Amino acid sequence: MIKKIKASKSEKIILIFLVLLGIITFGTYLVIKDECLFVKNLDPKKISFKSPNNIAILNAPCGNVIIEFYPEISPNGVKRIKTLIRSNAYENIAFHRVIKNKLIQAGDLEFGKKGSLDYGKIGTGKSGLGTIKSEIDNSFNYTKGSVGLARTFRNDTEDSQFFIILQNEPLFEGEYTPVGKVLYGLKVLKKIKNQRNSEYVLRPDFISSFKMLD
Amino acid sequence: MNIIRAILLLIFFITPIKANTIYNIIKIPNLEIYEINTKNKLKYFYAATPFRLGIQKNIVCSNPNNKDLEIKYKIIYKNLSRYSYNYLKKINLKYIVMCENLSISELYTAGIPDNTMKTLILDINFNEDYFERVIHHEVFHVMYLQHKEIFNDEEWIKFNNPKFKYAECSTCTSDIGLEKYKSTKGFFTEYSKSTASEDMAEVYSHMIYLKKNEINQIRKIDPILNNKISYIENKVKQIDNSFTF
Repeated sequence: MIKKIKASKSEKIILIFLVLLGIITFGTYLVIKDECLFVKNLDPKKISFKSPNNIAILNAPCGNVIIEFYPEISPNGVKRIKTLIRSNAYENIAFHRVIKNKLIQAGDLEFGKKGSLDYGKIGTGKSGLGTIKSEIDNSFNYTKGSVGLARTFRNDTEDSQFFIILQNEPLFEGEYTPVGKVLYGLKVLKKIKNQRNSEYVLRPDFISSFKMLD
Repeated sequence: MNIIRAILLLIFFITPIKANTIYNIIKIPNLEIYEINTKNKLKYFYAATPFRLGIQKNIVCSNPNNKDLEIKYKIIYKNLSRYSYNYLKKINLKYIVMCENLSISELYTAGIPDNTMKTLILDINFNEDYFERVIHHEVFHVMYLQHKEIFNDEEWIKFNNPKFKYAECSTCTSDIGLEKYKSTKGFFTEYSKSTASEDMAEVYSHMIYLKKNEINQIRKIDPILNNKISYIENKVKQIDNSFTF
């Protein structure tokens, strides 16, 4: 006859501790693995917009970023970015310059393309459409979520690269051509891969798609 | 080849983040905002700690104390407020950096204009006696660099007595006095005799700083300066027709 051995109190405590440890470890693994877990992915079709023809949806790894363009402030800048969006030029283009909680830059169509990324030249590429003139005379508050066109040290060198700021940058007014503002999706942008010691990202995240709403 | 490529990539990715917006815009470190909400949209910065610039780090400037900064900012602001946003845009000046003991290769200087970066670095303690006028002198240098095609040194030299020769460069002479001559004879100051562009800057700064009747008086008695003043007047009109001295 087999004698049933009852677990002692301390053995029960150890068992409970091990089960809890297992649950916490598994739960933590799930949370860490899915960095987009707490990021709300908005469906633009469920939102109504005042001027839908100026709305664009940028799809990043953690979801949609909904951007409104301001053609009345920078007509040529907005025209350029819309042209490139409509030709799907931004698809699979890297977020190559990311400064945590400060700025995200993408749009190098020549050296930032997935599969043919050139780390030595990224940020210097061209679109093939030529440069456009800076539009910096109109007032514009560069608040968190503002979208502007990147350029070299000189004015009138804007092309396809754009940046989105994640904090207010009053010094950008009159310096960079503003093209719009993020309406929804700043949390999505904050999840884009950055590097602690460098503005430029090794093995960066990519734009999945960038489309106009209309 | 692969090793070189790997080294280049390593350098590229270990470049430290200089996430300072001012540095990113004008490439001068250690600056902080003093005032950015001005009518003509000039942005004023000051050196929070000393900085070094240039490939050989030969441009050096120190941080001023708060009291000096407060006093000198008011003077700089008052003087630069006479320039409109449009004028400043045409000459490509947007940022004013205030610091003290500014030097290039150990030679002290009042200001360093950089039209490419739209920046003018000013030593707020350079010369108490001529500080206000020197601000305009440096503004002229920004304009001169931005519009080199408009200002012609050869044309300018012809205004002088044929026997007169400028020094080889602005620092190649020990005659650098900024006091206005009582009897001008073609030059406002001793420093005017250093180079053609310094002479132009001295004429411009006096045209801004002196009263209209004083300038008219000089024009009447000094034919050389009269020609120089007309030249500057015409060239500035070419840049901005709405500007008045």
